[in-house]
Amino acid sequence: MSVKAFNATKSEKVFDIANFILMGIILTVTLYPFLNVLAISLNDSTDTVRGGIYLWPREFTLENYKTIFQYDGLIQGAKISFARTIIGTLLGLLSSSMLAYTLSRPDFKIKKFVSTFLALTMYFSGGLIPGYILMKDLHLIGTFWIYILPMMVSAFNVFVIRSFIDGLPYALQESAKLDGANDLTIYYKVILPLCKPVLATIALFLAVGQWNAWFDTYLYNGSKPELTTLQYELMKVLQSTQQGGSNVNANDLAQQMAQVSPESIRMAITIVVTLPILVVYPFLQKYFVGGMTLGAVKA
Amino acid sequence: MKHKAPKAIAMMLLASTMLFTAACGNTKGEESSTSDPNSTEPITFSFFGADTSPHWNKMQDVVGKKITEATGVTINAEYDIASGGGDDKIALMAASGDYPDLIFPKANLSKLVDAGAMIDLTELIEEHAPNIKKMYGEEMNRLKYSNEDQAIYTLPTNGSVDQLTFDNTGGFELQHRVVKELGYPEIKTVEDYENALREYYKAHPTTEDGQPTIPLTLSADGWRSMITVTNPAVSATGAPDDGEYYINPETYEAVLHYKRPEEKEYFRWLNKMYNEGLLDKDTFIQKEDQYKAKIASGRVLGIIDHEWAYNDAEVALKNAGKDEMTYGHYPVTLTSEFKRADFQPVGSDGYGIGITENCKDPVRAIKFLDWMASDEGQVLRNWGVEGEQYVIEDGVRVIPADVQERKNNDNASFTKETGIGLYFVFGPHYGDGVKDPSGNYYTTNFPEQILAGYSEAEKEALKGYGISTWKELFPTEEDFEVKEWGAAYNMPVPSDGKYQVIYQKTQDIVQKRIPEAVVSSTDKFDQVYDNMLAELDKAGAVEMEQQYTEWIKERVRLWTGKDVQ
Repeated sequence: MSVKAFNATKSEKVFDIANFILMGIILTVTLYPFLNVLAISLNDSTDTVRGGIYLWPREFTLENYKTIFQYDGLIQGAKISFARTIIGTLLGLLSSSMLAYTLSRPDFKIKKFVSTFLALTMYFSGGLIPGYILMKDLHLIGTFWIYILPMMVSAFNVFVIRSFIDGLPYALQESAKLDGANDLTIYYKVILPLCKPVLATIALFLAVGQWNAWFDTYLYNGSKPELTTLQYELMKVLQSTQQGGSNVNANDLAQQMAQVSPESIRMAITIVVTLPILVVYPFLQKYFVGGMTLGAVKA
Repeated sequence: MKHKAPKAIAMMLLASTMLFTAACGNTKGEESSTSDPNSTEPITFSFFGADTSPHWNKMQDVVGKKITEATGVTINAEYDIASGGGDDKIALMAASGDYPDLIFPKANLSKLVDAGAMIDLTELIEEHAPNIKKMYGEEMNRLKYSNEDQAIYTLPTNGSVDQLTFDNTGGFELQHRVVKELGYPEIKTVEDYENALREYYKAHPTTEDGQPTIPLTLSADGWRSMITVTNPAVSATGAPDDGEYYINPETYEAVLHYKRPEEKEYFRWLNKMYNEGLLDKDTFIQKEDQYKAKIASGRVLGIIDHEWAYNDAEVALKNAGKDEMTYGHYPVTLTSEFKRADFQPVGSDGYGIGITENCKDPVRAIKFLDWMASDEGQVLRNWGVEGEQYVIEDGVRVIPADVQERKNNDNASFTKETGIGLYFVFGPHYGDGVKDPSGNYYTTNFPEQILAGYSEAEKEALKGYGISTWKELFPTEEDFEVKEWGAAYNMPVPSDGKYQVIYQKTQDIVQKRIPEAVVSSTDKFDQVYDNMLAELDKAGAVEMEQQYTEWIKERVRLWTGKDVQ
């Protein structure tokens, strides 16, 4: 947003100022909770109990982060988490966009049936136990691929991409066909480049979903330390500071609590978990805008 | 992706399928072990625990290595995370038949029993487990599953056998500075308690830095309201803690404890405190962290809570050098005719560890659990290894100062390294106050150690009352019979179905109406409280109580062999 310093009319000035203020308020409202979390995570945990921490830590410490990084599963977990995020996102994008393209084609005979079939999965699911038994019969339990395959196609993502493709002029595909392109070429050379904005959006969904997933680790790979994920490890840490267990005596507990309070630890975890995925946003940002204006059709 | 050929995509797909097929075909069952039950050949048992155990170190700790050395057993453990309890995992196990060898199912035992997953331990204990037999002795009946199915599926491990608690960390709390200034008055009834608060508050309406003093505050944030608002009504009127119920010791009739007339009087007292301005106006709207922040500021004179809940606030006070603002524990009752039952013994009761049908070698498994219950095993689990985590001086087990220091200040890594505290679930164990044949305590909690943990201000307050621990103010174990039904809140109830629906409804009513009754004007209190009781019955409380009574009676029948009608 640029402020015109001169030859701006009075009403434009007023608008600019009001705009500044409004945007400033919105920025504060959205950013404050995050800064507050950061401040608490860097504050001495005993001091946190006293309350009243807003924008910066009162007693700066890195103890909370130390506590979290003491756990040896963390490095392996980070590896697996990154792997599943990258592989899962790429494969997910590929399969969803291919399916979406197929479903968008008017000459696809069983389009309606497949769409309905797909839509059903959005509203009905087999539930936990049938899902588990299915995974067991597919021999996916205890493998890395259980993180990837079940999440590859989600009905919602497919429909989002499909409606985006539906919005593209069909003439583009026709002219490509006339130039001798086959279906795969059209998908790859025409559709994909035009779909960048929607693909970026879906990539974000997928990446965040993969990054934040811990429940599948817990259900299927809990006994496999080599397949642990970052979120699963952090869940464990989170628990350790919440319950003393029935066998811990009060003195030990008191000392333990003095080191790390649940509040500070929880906030430190939140930061650790959020940062890597925050980094993804700026990289996808440009695609949201780009691609909208590519390859227009002359009417 | 601009210059890549479509081939690349095809290749990627191909590669991924190849990877996927390569990743298939993994777990194969381990070799089954020898049939010689006395062997200490290496054997690995898989285990699932429904509690969380974040410091579990795959037995690479001192205690773990010793256990493997002595028994040949390695435990491949997996613990529940999230809220603990293992509901999802155990439901999956029961449905799919994928059980570990050993399991600690907590409240989900019935799912596994119904699936036929658990094996009956009765014979195994009889033949191979002398230590476990010795431990339970008379109370063997309490291990049985039900009247219809008298098998023993689990050995209680989350409770301790013959536990004798040395101190009380509950009751009603008052700051040490309050009792000191008032000359250590007798604090036995709510009236005494209230007078102490009132008097001190009158003299010190604000703190030194000008903040208003808060005579009494409670935390009603979620489940905490049970601890600080409703449970005290039970204990201040002389009943033992049985969760949301009061169980008549003669007839075993269970009623929602709110229905006891004496408890109404307790809530009336809270109502009076509120209207007088002695009970914090924010009590029912503050969050837990605000409650703790208030305590940590030192301006709250009295609370009704348990030390494990407000501990970090107290630590914050101690760190700020405000020991006189930490709390002592007083045996407050509604009137002097009641006797607090904090220490009424419940006997053996608790969730335990069991062996599943999938276990490769049940005999080795029970022998392992039995070794863990032996004197050697228990000392190892509680104390660690002689010469490392403890030493013996003149026949007495002592924890060296440097070890104790690490235990206190770096507990997480100490636990990870030594494994002390990680193995309680593997086999029964004696509680505090029980001595082994050498005359030493099995556990590391004993009077001398508790005394060492008191701050100067706390010692002064104790001295003011002429006692050495807070427990001495309370009626002790000897004043009570052992409860025939254990602790009712440990009794597994169906997790779904009609009972659960009604229970949830009653909980919602209580959580809404009790605060309403406390904050209403004095003349309205009766009306609000009576309406609540009517509402509970309308929600089906009577039916629910009858159902619960039946369960309690069954439990008593099973445990005591009494013919309860």
